[in-house]
Amino acid sequence: MDAKPEKLNEVVLQGNEACAKGALYAGCRFFAGYPITPSTEIIEMMSAEMQKAGGAFIQMEDEIGSACAIIGARWGGSKAMTATSGPGYTLMQEAIGFAAVTETPIVIVNVQRGGPSTGQPTLSSQQDIYQARYGSHGDYGIIVLAPSSVQEMYDFTIRAFELAEQFRTPVILLADEVVGHMREKITIREGQKEIKREKHKYVVSPQADFFQGANSMVEGQLHDEQGRRIGHIASRSGDFINSINRKIRDHVDVISSIDSYCMEDADVAIVAYGSVARPSMNAVKHARGIRDDRLGPKFKIFRDILKRGVNKTLHTDYSHLKVGLVKINTVWPFPEELLKQATERVDTVIVPEMNVGKYTREVERALKDKTVISMPKCGGDIHTPTEILDRILEVTGLEEEER
Amino acid sequence: MRLNVRFAGSGGQGVILASVLLSKAYGLGENYNIAQTQSYGPEARGGACKAEVVISDEEIDYMKVEDADVFVALNQVGYDKYIDTVKDDAIVLINSTLVESDRPNVYRIQATQRAEDMGKPFVVNIIALGALTRLMPKIHYQTVEEEIKENFNASIAGANLDAYRLGYEILDEDLEKLGYRTGFGKSSRF
Repeated sequence: MDAKPEKLNEVVLQGNEACAKGALYAGCRFFAGYPITPSTEIIEMMSAEMQKAGGAFIQMEDEIGSACAIIGARWGGSKAMTATSGPGYTLMQEAIGFAAVTETPIVIVNVQRGGPSTGQPTLSSQQDIYQARYGSHGDYGIIVLAPSSVQEMYDFTIRAFELAEQFRTPVILLADEVVGHMREKITIREGQKEIKREKHKYVVSPQADFFQGANSMVEGQLHDEQGRRIGHIASRSGDFINSINRKIRDHVDVISSIDSYCMEDADVAIVAYGSVARPSMNAVKHARGIRDDRLGPKFKIFRDILKRGVNKTLHTDYSHLKVGLVKINTVWPFPEELLKQATERVDTVIVPEMNVGKYTREVERALKDKTVISMPKCGGDIHTPTEILDRILEVTGLEEEER
Repeated sequence: MRLNVRFAGSGGQGVILASVLLSKAYGLGENYNIAQTQSYGPEARGGACKAEVVISDEEIDYMKVEDADVFVALNQVGYDKYIDTVKDDAIVLINSTLVESDRPNVYRIQATQRAEDMGKPFVVNIIALGALTRLMPKIHYQTVEEEIKENFNASIAGANLDAYRLGYEILDEDLEKLGYRTGFGKSSRF
């Protein structure tokens, strides 16, 4: 599709800034939002860059208005996005249901903080994992992506716009404070990505498709192809509800994405999503003895550091431990089949997450024949590799004998 | 190779900015992978503030710092809070105007005092960064200098460049007194 040659740029960006850059690259030309830590940098960058890109930025009176404004903007023809954190995301729930029932492709970024309520403005969590899926009332399907790095903040934002357009659904980018505020070196593209605007295969009301020349009725009640209310007819309403759920559920294979690491011969798997996948990866590498954490000879001018010992836990060679990592990129719809395939030969699954242990339930449901161990952490700090490694040692029964 | 750097201080001292400049200098100037993270309270000023930079020639998985290889403390609260999570032979640099330490092998710089002498109390972080540049491996004075020029308005870039040079020179002299003849990160500038 992309005819123009693309220029790649290497930059150091914060996760939130990368998200804004990704949205602009994906063709987002309307942004409405209300600043809230830890997502404010997205709004800041959008306010600075949107006008240059020829789009519109508006700071709304609150998050309810922001979510409604982007739905209106999308029906007006602009790809649209908003960004917020937990408290604002709660306010947006009504509009998310409206977007789902009207099949409006919008992108909502939730940079999670600790909750409930105002909670922990500057600290991280993954507590909104269920709200992202089931937050609004009624039955609807939704797509939720969980980035774990600054590069993924950029890439997944672009992917969110693609999926939203393809399936005519709201898509949630479920980031967290760690990813949102972290700075990393990433590669970004110049110009604008052409997101395919073919006739939507999955849209329930083809007459209400965008830019087809037909007048559309945008209706929050259950409606037929013309947008006329059918809420009073049980059989047709049931079909409509099934359709907006099945257009996502039946295409899990197209939507889902996971990354496996060292899973070929693993007995124990760590299943993680979002920023927690990063310390999990570190723990897996240490368990496998893959990385030598000591400083290399390049730093020989730095004799002091070379002489230092390595943390005892990390120094011991556990390379006989067969541990792997499954990183879930699309947390909803739940990538059940992919996860089953990836963990086919493991006996034990550890699920670290920055909440009271919510996603573990989904993993348990999918992997009934395996031992699923939840590793919740609340309070705002991300798991450390040592904590995860200690849990691996505990699970494999090595903790006592080797330390 | 993975180098874990931690800055600690109070909100408003420029802890995060110093870490950002360091990470850009390593990430863009020296072509390492970097991950910079921070932790602070809801206050605009005051309150404990921590910033961390991981520098590596491999892909960085864990983005935060468990035990630091390099620790910079700009105030006593930050020093006390994090000194127990630095490695035994870590490089520790303290703002000796505000921080007292009985740890052996600590590098000291009177950052707050020197910044006030300059009449620019806001450059505390940059003076400390200058001193740190002198201590850090594989990083060059010019790279950080360029990052400073790029990240500040012209009106305050000058003061920050002066502060950066000052920090670097003070530590250079101190090291010379201690008998280090050649600098680790010594640039051709001097």
